[in-house]
Amino acid sequence: MSLRLRLLLMIGISLSLLWGGVAVWMLRDLDDEMRRTLDQRLAMSARMVAGLISQNPAAWDTRRGTAGVSTLTVPATAKGLACQVSSLRGEVFARTPGAASAAIASTTPGFAEREIDGEHWRSYTVEAHGLRITTADRLAERNTLLRDVMAAAIVPFVVALIGSLMMLWIGVRSGLVPLERLRQALARRAPDALTPIPDAPMPRELQPLVETLNQLLERMRVAISRERRFTSDAAHELRTPLTALKTHLQVARITHGQDAETALDYAEEGASRLQHTLQQLLTLAQVEGPFSWDEAQRTYTDEVACLAMRDAAPDAPERVVLESDEPSVELALPQALAVTALRNLLDNALRHAPAQHSVKLKIQSAHDTVCFRVCDSGPGLTTDELTRVTQRFWRRDAGRGSGLGLAIVVAVTERCGGSLALAQRPTGGLEASLTLPRAKRESPPVS
Amino acid sequence: MRILLVEDDDLIARGIQAGLHARGLMVDGVRTAAQAEAMLSAVHYQVVILDLGLPDEDGMSLLQRWRADGMALPMLVLTARDAVEDRVAGLRAGADDYLLKPFDLDELVARLHALLRRAAGRSVATIEQGALRLDPERGEVSLNGRPVVLSRRELALLAALLHARGRILSVDQLKDSLYGFSEEIESNALNVHIHHLRRKLGADLIETVRGVGYRFNMVNA
Repeated sequence: MSLRLRLLLMIGISLSLLWGGVAVWMLRDLDDEMRRTLDQRLAMSARMVAGLISQNPAAWDTRRGTAGVSTLTVPATAKGLACQVSSLRGEVFARTPGAASAAIASTTPGFAEREIDGEHWRSYTVEAHGLRITTADRLAERNTLLRDVMAAAIVPFVVALIGSLMMLWIGVRSGLVPLERLRQALARRAPDALTPIPDAPMPRELQPLVETLNQLLERMRVAISRERRFTSDAAHELRTPLTALKTHLQVARITHGQDAETALDYAEEGASRLQHTLQQLLTLAQVEGPFSWDEAQRTYTDEVACLAMRDAAPDAPERVVLESDEPSVELALPQALAVTALRNLLDNALRHAPAQHSVKLKIQSAHDTVCFRVCDSGPGLTTDELTRVTQRFWRRDAGRGSGLGLAIVVAVTERCGGSLALAQRPTGGLEASLTLPRAKRESPPVS
Repeated sequence: MRILLVEDDDLIARGIQAGLHARGLMVDGVRTAAQAEAMLSAVHYQVVILDLGLPDEDGMSLLQRWRADGMALPMLVLTARDAVEDRVAGLRAGADDYLLKPFDLDELVARLHALLRRAAGRSVATIEQGALRLDPERGEVSLNGRPVVLSRRELALLAALLHARGRILSVDQLKDSLYGFSEEIESNALNVHIHHLRRKLGADLIETVRGVGYRFNMVNA
């Protein structure tokens, strides 16, 4: 249900119910008051007649006692009104014309109501100076009067009610215009538009909504452009070795002998570069994604160092020198992640260190962290390069490495709460310090 | 035809060089923008193949700079970025053609020949001059309808002379279009090739302009 319809219904129904209730209450009061006023006037007119008669009782006394007295007929003053003066015994001395008058004579004083010839009459009888005076009025006249009064009260009321409902409709409509404008602005947008909603003047109530929407849009825009950038970079990184592979395969097809052999060797090099890049991309997606790792297996520093060294230099294990005289401690992250991070650091160090030079790996435990330091004797990095080195796909030389190694290390530290620091060594070369959290549950390593 | 390849990825550069070489094209490979500029100032190239991701300068800005400096060489841009805006930006910056990695070697060769053809103001693949007919892309030559077998160097020499359309080409220019940068050139090598061409196609087809160089004799062809 639209907001406007809901507002209109809620306010309209409650307005009508409230004012309807008030109207019924008021009309009932009015009805009672009218009847009481008319009764009072009936009684007053009876008493007035009695008062008039008491001014000259003798005139009536002469008539009293005489049998078969003629009835004095009083000229009718108004339609629907009747009056009769009679003795207590029932002799009628005077009355207004009309057959009804005979019947209205009541023997009991006070108000009475009766039906004569199908018409309802209300009468009032008073006894004074031995006379009985009755006044009556026809209820039909009374009801007509009451209806007129009611109508006079109700018509303006209904007009006012309809008017206020219309005002309500207009008010709700114009009050909701900014909301409607916002709805239209949103409906007009392309589904993938991420530009902020225009800053048209908005009512205060809508401003937080628009601000929140714009913040959300901005966050989405940033996230999507980051993803796009990454996809484009990844495509670029995959295309490059693929190009080398394809070109050399084509060369192998159109050449012969040694040239074809060389081309095939290069094609294989391209294939292994492609494989490496793919593997690194998958690792990065796994580290950053919502994948769960085997948490059941405990991770110990000596195992991590051993596995990472074996992975990084499978053919020349002597190139990595482990310097650690501390007992192995448990780490608070899955073993695969720790090994991946450390192996990438060792890979980099081995790649940049001069051939035949070894790379040092030191392990130092602190209270709640463990630091793996990888030191090489390569050219190191300039200050500018140090700031860019952890960016995805950054690499110093084209064709060397996937450009993802350090990005993966950073992703691992972000996932487990560690840190990576790179620094130029005073003696030349680079020192990479990977700090990883220690496990809270302290237990001796499984030997 | 002599080509300068500016590509920072060693493996790809080696592949392109080997492939173009096998197709009878002369290629010099460089890895950086600075090397490319040095080579361009030293050697006469007919086409440049430019990779956009260079280590020392963005390929796009290099292209713009070259065009602003008035360099008119045909340029084929190689890139792994496939977004339409990248391609449009490349062409706007002054590239004559655009090839997305990974590409087909034959397509690269065909596009290079097409670029050369357009630069020479021709719209068909073959060059015809009198009774002589050359298809540079296939390396086929015929004289009076009969095919003539030429070596790779002879073919390159004939193509260079035909492309010049009667203009005089200096000895250095001709050597540039025959030999790669690293190749050893014997002092009389060019004379030998000219001699062979004259023997196969007719003595008066190539005219010697003393002290200046050689030109294709348009009248006698």
